[in-house]
Amino acid sequence: MAQAPEAAYSKADGAQAFADVTYGDIDHEVLRLLQPPGRKYWYGFAFLVALVVVGGTTWLRQIYIGLGVTGLTMPSMWAIYIADFVFWVGIAHSGTLISAILYLFRTRWRTAVYRAAEAMTVFAVITAGLFPLIHLGRVWFFYWLLPYPNERWLQPDFRSPLVWDTFAVGTYLTVSTTFLLMGMVPDVAAAREASSGWRRKLYAVFSLGWQGSEEQWRHFSMVYLLLAGLATPLVLSVHSVVSFDFAMAQVPGWHSTIFPPYFVAGAIFSGVAMVITLLIPMRRWLKLERLLTPWHFDNLAKVILLTSLIITYAYIVEAFLAWYSGDVFERTTFYMRYFGPYGPLAWIMVACNCVGPLFLFSPRIRTNMVALFIISIGVNIGMWLERFVIIAGSLTTNFMPSQWGFYRPSITEILITLGSFGWFLMWFTLFSRHLPVISMTEIKEGIAWHKKALQREDAKAA
Amino acid sequence: MAQEVSRRSFLKLAAAAGAAATVPGCHPAARHLVPYVVPDENVTPGLPSFYATTCAECPAGCAVVARVREGRVTKLEGNPIDPIGAGALCARGQAALQELYNPDRLAAPRRREADGRSTPLSWQTALGEFNAQMKAAAAAGKDRVLYIGQPQGPTLRKITEAWLRAYNSQRLIAFEAINYQALTDAAQRCFNRQDRPVYQLDAAEVIVSFGADFLETYLSPVEYTRQFAAFRAPRATGAQTAMGLALYVGPRMNLTAANSDEWIAARPGTEGAVAMAVLRAVVDAGALGSSSGLDATALRQFTTGYEPEAIAKHSGVPAAAIRRIAQRLGQARGAVALAAADDLTGQVAAMLLNAVTGNLGGTMKFIDAPDLTRASSRGEVAAAIKAMHDGAVDVLVVAGVNPVFALPPELATVQAMRRVKLVVWAGWVPDETAEFAHLMLPIDHPLESWDDVAPRPGVARLRQPVTRRVFDSLALGDLLLESVALAGASPPPVAWKDTQEALKAAWREIQTRVAPSTSFDEFWTKALSEGGIFAEPKTASVTISPNALGEAPKLDAPAEESLALASFPHIFLYDGRGADKPWLQEVPEPVAQIVWDNWAEIHPDTARRLNVEQGQVVEIASRHGRLAVAAHLSPRLHPQAIAIPIGQGHLAYGRYASGRGANPWQVLPAGRLVAAVEVRPTERRVKLVSPLAPPSMLEQPVVKALSLDELRRGVVPQETEPYPEPYEMYDPYTYPKHEWGMTIDLNACTGCSACVAACYAENNVPVVGKELVAEGRIMSWIRIERYWPETPEAPLMMKMPMLCQQCGHAPCEPVCPVFAAYRTDEGLNGQVYNRCVGTRYCSNNCPYKVRRFNWYKPEWPHPLQLQLNPDVSVRGAGVMEKCTFCIQRIRFAEMQALTGQQPLVDGTIVPACAQACPARAITFGDMKQATSAMMSRRKLHALRNYRALDEDLNTQPGIVYLRGIYREHGEV
Repeated sequence: MAQAPEAAYSKADGAQAFADVTYGDIDHEVLRLLQPPGRKYWYGFAFLVALVVVGGTTWLRQIYIGLGVTGLTMPSMWAIYIADFVFWVGIAHSGTLISAILYLFRTRWRTAVYRAAEAMTVFAVITAGLFPLIHLGRVWFFYWLLPYPNERWLQPDFRSPLVWDTFAVGTYLTVSTTFLLMGMVPDVAAAREASSGWRRKLYAVFSLGWQGSEEQWRHFSMVYLLLAGLATPLVLSVHSVVSFDFAMAQVPGWHSTIFPPYFVAGAIFSGVAMVITLLIPMRRWLKLERLLTPWHFDNLAKVILLTSLIITYAYIVEAFLAWYSGDVFERTTFYMRYFGPYGPLAWIMVACNCVGPLFLFSPRIRTNMVALFIISIGVNIGMWLERFVIIAGSLTTNFMPSQWGFYRPSITEILITLGSFGWFLMWFTLFSRHLPVISMTEIKEGIAWHKKALQREDAKAA
Repeated sequence: MAQEVSRRSFLKLAAAAGAAATVPGCHPAARHLVPYVVPDENVTPGLPSFYATTCAECPAGCAVVARVREGRVTKLEGNPIDPIGAGALCARGQAALQELYNPDRLAAPRRREADGRSTPLSWQTALGEFNAQMKAAAAAGKDRVLYIGQPQGPTLRKITEAWLRAYNSQRLIAFEAINYQALTDAAQRCFNRQDRPVYQLDAAEVIVSFGADFLETYLSPVEYTRQFAAFRAPRATGAQTAMGLALYVGPRMNLTAANSDEWIAARPGTEGAVAMAVLRAVVDAGALGSSSGLDATALRQFTTGYEPEAIAKHSGVPAAAIRRIAQRLGQARGAVALAAADDLTGQVAAMLLNAVTGNLGGTMKFIDAPDLTRASSRGEVAAAIKAMHDGAVDVLVVAGVNPVFALPPELATVQAMRRVKLVVWAGWVPDETAEFAHLMLPIDHPLESWDDVAPRPGVARLRQPVTRRVFDSLALGDLLLESVALAGASPPPVAWKDTQEALKAAWREIQTRVAPSTSFDEFWTKALSEGGIFAEPKTASVTISPNALGEAPKLDAPAEESLALASFPHIFLYDGRGADKPWLQEVPEPVAQIVWDNWAEIHPDTARRLNVEQGQVVEIASRHGRLAVAAHLSPRLHPQAIAIPIGQGHLAYGRYASGRGANPWQVLPAGRLVAAVEVRPTERRVKLVSPLAPPSMLEQPVVKALSLDELRRGVVPQETEPYPEPYEMYDPYTYPKHEWGMTIDLNACTGCSACVAACYAENNVPVVGKELVAEGRIMSWIRIERYWPETPEAPLMMKMPMLCQQCGHAPCEPVCPVFAAYRTDEGLNGQVYNRCVGTRYCSNNCPYKVRRFNWYKPEWPHPLQLQLNPDVSVRGAGVMEKCTFCIQRIRFAEMQALTGQQPLVDGTIVPACAQACPARAITFGDMKQATSAMMSRRKLHALRNYRALDEDLNTQPGIVYLRGIYREHGEV
């Protein structure tokens, strides 16, 4: 891979991150995780599977009885399911940001975190993809949203943002899965060499016959670069399309041109927070402190800080637009968002998304794992609430004052939402001990740079 | 299976109605099923047949047409040739079908065992037992059989009298809980007449109602709603525009008050005194009509004690207001005063007011014909109950009425019934009275019966079976005639074998009187196919009786300082008989907009004083009894009034009625709907459920109005700056043949909700029940938007039928991913149920919130499903539905035109809501046809046109509303 100009990497702490790490250390640190996991791991895994079973059973019950078992009702025809959908799609975004955009920018600190972020992306997309199905009144006809040849030439209506969604999420799933699997090839090949039995066979499949030849490296680099290029616009487009579900409707509180950038920033914000939320426990439980250093978290936290400021700006702009429009419905909806029945949720959202991340201006907090974990969990909660407040809050404060209402979730939505967390974490847990969670290849590539940077620092000091 | 039976049963119907209509003198209704091997020539499967009959849901007696498909009746509609209903039908009439098909109707005769349970038995045993007891009673002496039933038509009354005579009795009670005795008593006193007057509201310029809720239940609500709409329609144009002035005096702002120009809050029970004071003020102002024949001195004498100042204190109505009413009444060319059904003082005063202002024979008139249907008076009912108490009654037959529920507690009806050897209950859904009956007999519903009806003098109507029997029931008349035959008198007291024969005999007499030149067959066929004879009745000339100004009625309102109950018949449940019909429970009461419950309306100030909150159960005690009911806080009530709708509080009467709310009859005295009460809060709470959110209109009302002054000046208030010409991204739609549209006149609409019930009936809209309505899952396709304006310069109540607006730029259409919501080439928003996957995006994007989602699979307990309209799909779980402008009717008319049966001209297609509307507020038609009635109505009222939310959202609705008109405060 091409080396970027060294001048870009002059941060002393970054340079020190891998100061005393050798190539062998890296192989050891990562490949030891591919040993058969212990009993505790499987208990945890079984718990997550149980959550999935509970969520799945609840879904089956909902299909059998009808959507009446949910708390959905007029006028809040969408609520938690769509909030979950947007939440998980949002989570998915940071993975691609870190692995594709930061790759193109040659950002050095991404190497240790991108694999986990990318895996998280894929799992978040497959979780998100469930929700449009769960929310359908007649899920058994979900394929009517896809264009397929049929005798009546009935096709989906391409004016509908839901059809755009189908394509956007479908594309995103395809590209991010390909990107993940492709980027893993050299590492999986290394794992193949270090394992035996069924694992070896599995890795043989995933490594696509990788031998590490010059030719293969050349092709790999080019494919990876191209995929990164392909994935980059998706980071912006997919969540823009998701935001169209709202912006294209005329519901007051939804119908706004700021939604695409607002949602993309929110997606990256929540996604990076989720990366931190996952990496901090993983680092500790899998003892990855040597590879996942405070330097990495410091940089992730800065992304959170930046996107938090963008989000805060978006909230202010929304308020301004509502006022400036002079439109009574827009104003009322906005007022009700903060002072209506969902007001407390909106204020928690502001606290989590706008106030909490401000602490990250302090470098000490940025490298304090406990504080960072709390703030990132807060952001996850805040961003989920943001989607909920936008969806349920706007729908319940509509054009027809006599039809205002209040949405209260039933146990069905709660169990299915918990099930979705179980589903997502189940895949991530499976991944964490069965595939290389950190890119050995890219860290090795970086070590030379770290060494050089360190020497330069020393020289400067001398 | 139900389908198969009903298809076969068509022949039964054809035999019953068709054959009887065309082949008179033949055998009675066929009792056997005939297979479809030889199809009846009158029946085409898939095509509806229409049979004329008469509505039995209230004493008004509107003529209706029953639509019958493959042998089962699926819809009732007003009969256009009827001068009473004039083709409209109220919600109660629509819901008659749900009594016919009620799942809780008594399916077979039952006997009550010693342990209180009831067991089924055969008709033979039941009738054997019944007739044996009858014979014993007749043998025991005179008048030992008592019959309590609905006020009957002439023929059934003759049969019943003959039956009683055969068993040595004359005790016949025609029971109406609300019997308008005050009205007949006042007519007797003022004009020496035994019948009730008929009002002509559209001949008036001013209407003053002293507690007569003529838009809800008073006398003939469909007729009066139509007349009121005509009365309120703007007359003339430009600066001369005039509109009837309506004033309402009463404790509660009910539908009539809310549609008036002014609601004058009076303490409960004082409306009559206010009417007397108005009479006094009219006299004082010297506004006596020359033709009244009344002398001012005598009138002054008569109204002594009713001087406006004195009454102002008594009633809470300012003397200035009383004088203003008097002035309005005196000056109008054509005025009418009405009073509450239970208020003798008010009725006397109102009749005198009509007389002294010269409106006798104009806005209020009597018909020159005998009154054939009279409800028994309070005294007669009390005497009958007393006879039971005294052990003078051995057999009591209660048919089609519920005295245990509706009689005042002071009569102790239940204890009286316990003293009767055999209590026979004959009816439909077993009610509280049936609980105390020894024998329960299922009788035919009016829609299954032969009968004639004379709802008021000069009106003769027929009732014919329009469907095959749903249960194993017998016609009441047949049952009585059989019993007469068994009495074994010789010669037999009657010559008829069954009701149908008796009916024909009676109508042969009518024929000799009204149409002696035609043959009876011809006359009978015509009468049966039209539902009766519809001749303009002659107005009687009446004069004031010399006794009219005798002793003045006494004040009979509760004491001035006490709280007073002002109960009123619920617009749908009436005296309680509507409560077993799920449509009537689910359609919100138009003013309070509450469903499936009753409530005590309490003024917020009073509630604060009593420490009562919304939904808190209060115990209300009068001298006569006590009840507990949830409080509903409403400022549209006199602070001293507690208003409770009558109709709920059933302990029996089927699954839909029992166990809801409380029964105000329990605390009321005989013959009065007002009582002094004490109110005590309890700890319990009940959630009162409304499909409408608490009232608020934002600053921008969806319902728009125009003041009379603005109408005269020809200006429309401008609420917002005009929006720029919208940018169109797609080519405009083209509609090659039709573009359907609707015009709804909000000035005519009273909010009575007949349209809502009609839509339930026509479109197979499922009923969901109180709990699901509370969750926001009501399924009605049309609702009444009801708002309380926040400024005084507005109508008292703003209302608007809200249904799918069939937008030209429908927000629901482009968001549907699968084209389930799409644009038809006739200007409708199609909704393909089978294509819908249930994303519900269309509902989110619909600014009118008229789309409904099927949260569950809808269910109709057997045999309610027999009512379903076979032309409309029943929607399954998971799909969206909404108003279609009754597309099945549009398609039907288009098919008829295609096959050359009937040309498609303006007015051929009438959606169910427009059909039902008593105020004729809804007109449907083709927007491409500039001369259609619908487009002409828009053009004629161009100033009042507006489209809901269109200027904000550019949805281009196919419905144009005509703004309601109100008088500025200064003008009232």
